[in-house]
Amino acid sequence: MGEFVRHRRSNKVIATFTVLEADLLRSLAAQLVELLHNERAIAPTGEDPLEALLDFSGPTTEPEDPVLQRLFPTAYRQDPEAAGEFRRFTEGGLRDSKARAAETVIDVLEEAGLPGEPTDPDLVIDVELDRSTALTWMRAFTDLRLALGVRLGVEEGDQDYWDALPEEDPRAQAHHLFEWLGYLQETLVEAVG
Amino acid sequence: MGAVSTASPTRLEMAVDPGVLPDITPEDVTLADTPWVTIVWNDPVNLMSYVTFVFTTYFGYSRKKAEKLMMEVHEEGKSVVSTGSREEMERDVQAMHEYGLWATLQKAE
Repeated sequence: MGEFVRHRRSNKVIATFTVLEADLLRSLAAQLVELLHNERAIAPTGEDPLEALLDFSGPTTEPEDPVLQRLFPTAYRQDPEAAGEFRRFTEGGLRDSKARAAETVIDVLEEAGLPGEPTDPDLVIDVELDRSTALTWMRAFTDLRLALGVRLGVEEGDQDYWDALPEEDPRAQAHHLFEWLGYLQETLVEAVG
Repeated sequence: MGAVSTASPTRLEMAVDPGVLPDITPEDVTLADTPWVTIVWNDPVNLMSYVTFVFTTYFGYSRKKAEKLMMEVHEEGKSVVSTGSREEMERDVQAMHEYGLWATLQKAE
């Protein structure tokens, strides 16, 4: 349970989740959507107040939240002006696209029978993804893992640190979640091939 | 999604009177600007399999080439994954950000 495999005959990618797992995925995806919409992309303010009011293009400066900084990296390392222009033309669209991907995860889980308020703990949720939806899930899992990774301060080669944390430490629990998403992602990449 | 274009395009469509062609040698003529590159940087979160998958899916690279680039990212901290005009590289960087990879662009060294 809880891993992706390719269904040979239909060529679709399938997975079965417990209602608890599906509910957890939905909750994480919903938090990501909220974060993406929460700290609004702030449009640049020019000298002229009217011009500023009429400027509906995107932001030119980095988001404040470290998660958003990682999701929308600065594209030019040595040219702040070009980096600002790039951000202005891309960040809004990327925010929408990432939010839509997370919403797709939620929609698919609910269409597969995940109730708004799960009451039956024995319920299982079977999802079936075509290639394009599987790619969308992959992007959403990536963003969720990036968000958790940044919040936890995950670094290269730090496995021993996490393994040594006591089980009751909330960070250990969040790291288990991070690893679980990694496992799901690994099986999803493998299944899509 | 709005395309980013800040570099000036190479103009090929200008009508030229052969009689007034300036005295230039072929060496003076460069149609392409200095090439730009897209660089993907290592991060502690993205899975090796996923990064390889993105390189094959988005760039259409062979599995072998995609794995080589992924290993460069992983072991050397970064890798040049594509080369082209500034506009093309901006498109590639935007796509990498959509996939959650940490990418930047710069002039080729």
